[in-house]
Amino acid sequence: MRKLVAGLFFFLFSLVANQAFALLSMELTRGVSGAVPIAIVPFAVEGQAPSQDMASIISNDLQNSGRFKVLGGDKITSFPSNAGDVQYDYFRRLGADNLVVGKVQEVGPDRYQVQFQLLDVFKGKNAAQSGQQPILLSQKITVSGSQLRALAHHVSDLVYQQITGVKGVFSTRLAYVVVQRSPAVTHYTLEVADQDGYNPRPLLSSTDPIMSPDWSPDGKKIAYVSFENKQSSIYVQDVATGERHLMTQYPGINGAPSWSPDGHKLALVLSKGDTIDQKGTPSIYIMDLGSHQLTRLTKDFNINTEPAWSPDGRKIIFTSNRSGNAQIYQIDLGSRATSRVSYDGKYNARGSFTPDGNHIVMINQGSGMYNIGILDLDSGTLRVLTNSDTDHGSPSMAPNGSMVLFETVYNGRTVLGMAATDGSVQIRLPARNGEVQDPAWSPFLS
Amino acid sequence: MKFKKLAQVLLISGSILALGACSTNKHNGASAMDGSGEGGAMASGVGQGDEFGGTGGAGSRQSLQQRTFYFDYDRSEVREEYRPAINANADFLVAHPNAKVILEGHTDPRGSREYNVALGERRANAVADILRSKGVNPRQIRVVSYGAERLAVSGHSDQDYQQDRRAVIAYMQK
Repeated sequence: MRKLVAGLFFFLFSLVANQAFALLSMELTRGVSGAVPIAIVPFAVEGQAPSQDMASIISNDLQNSGRFKVLGGDKITSFPSNAGDVQYDYFRRLGADNLVVGKVQEVGPDRYQVQFQLLDVFKGKNAAQSGQQPILLSQKITVSGSQLRALAHHVSDLVYQQITGVKGVFSTRLAYVVVQRSPAVTHYTLEVADQDGYNPRPLLSSTDPIMSPDWSPDGKKIAYVSFENKQSSIYVQDVATGERHLMTQYPGINGAPSWSPDGHKLALVLSKGDTIDQKGTPSIYIMDLGSHQLTRLTKDFNINTEPAWSPDGRKIIFTSNRSGNAQIYQIDLGSRATSRVSYDGKYNARGSFTPDGNHIVMINQGSGMYNIGILDLDSGTLRVLTNSDTDHGSPSMAPNGSMVLFETVYNGRTVLGMAATDGSVQIRLPARNGEVQDPAWSPFLS
Repeated sequence: MKFKKLAQVLLISGSILALGACSTNKHNGASAMDGSGEGGAMASGVGQGDEFGGTGGAGSRQSLQQRTFYFDYDRSEVREEYRPAINANADFLVAHPNAKVILEGHTDPRGSREYNVALGERRANAVADILRSKGVNPRQIRVVSYGAERLAVSGHSDQDYQQDRRAVIAYMQK
């Protein structure tokens, strides 16, 4: 297997917020009743006004997570910028349990010192009697103008983790494929954007299909399938530089690349068969990324595809039709023992583990539409996360296990959606142009 | 941050004979993007259409023109009504051992994308098997499954889905 440095154009990723709008925009369609009420006060500005509205970015992040109910917005009439200025009674009347205040101060050409505090409104109100400290977080960070948006997402992460105990995903990215059809030709673009849809950047542009993006565990590379040579090929592309390497281009299927948790291997699907004239069937292989050596995992005449690694790297789940229809199976990489995992419904495919290793998210079809389901491995219970009035596919888990990203059909177009894994929240991300499909959520990047 | 720009263009020059009622992909080209925003220059070769000389009577020429075959939901069995057309294509390929085809497999967009690629391959192989059983050299046939990635139509009705579930014999220019 030759390693082809395709020598294509290098691509630069920067934090410069060139795009003033998002390709994807979020619409929260169902929130959770137990959401934490929080007020985010517009940050005070000293000196040159920054290009980013920090409070607005933080508000959208927290609101769209479904775990917070962001209060006030335009209705806030008190504008403290630090704990000492806060009138806690006002914010209690607003209904807030927590409060974020801050300030952006120009300290040099394109240099901004940002300070923020997360405050507990109850403790603040009772501070005089109890002496309890209302300040939960307090930080001061200096950045350039181009880093302000990323910093706002970082503040969202800190607030989210402080209050929920779970690491936030506001600094992660999404990869997805944009499809634009015209009568003459269809354009496919593999894009990467911030998790809120901002700063979309193309990684690959083609008039042949692109599918199955998968992030490396360190978030620096994406593996994907491209049909650019009138056949399927698996590539690995560096996200920052755009440099890419051809991994496999065998006759037949080259598909479903999946990075191992340690980043050293790629599970993938080939149907090349053993001899040149023999027609093979899709089988799971593991490629060692150092040696490019292939190890075959399944060997039968069934469809075996969509491998996904367990978080401990010891098992691979995959989709197989060996029982007559698509179901999810598991192979232990040590013993090679294979067992069936899914039993609910007549179709279960594209399984992936949650980060805790205790659940599997998959496409599930009971009797009608295709839904996103989450299977509890201890109890064997399957819960359906999406409504059943349309089809859903391509689930991809957030790295903190809180949300699943997927594709669905809305008004006749394929768009992305998100659902909380406890079933509480649904968000739709309508694309501005074309259709959006096959998403992949990045790992934690910071 | 600095970046280099390599001026190597990915040239793909596949080309397909355009014949009959079959619409096949004419465009090829893929470019990985660079940061300067100038984009990649993409050359794409578009194949010349070739005229076939008649290899038989009017009936077999008609059959030869039929190169798209449709399938039932979740199935890959070839419908009997397509046999004459597939046989006509087989006869042509046997008579022209330098001719090559891509056998494309497709599905409707429901379900899982990679599983659909596998299902599409079954459909393409079902047709390819008939060609091979009629004496076509396997080296004249390349099977490519697009799964649900190249839908025939963009709608979501049952009629649309039926149009998507297909195998296509696409003749290549040598």
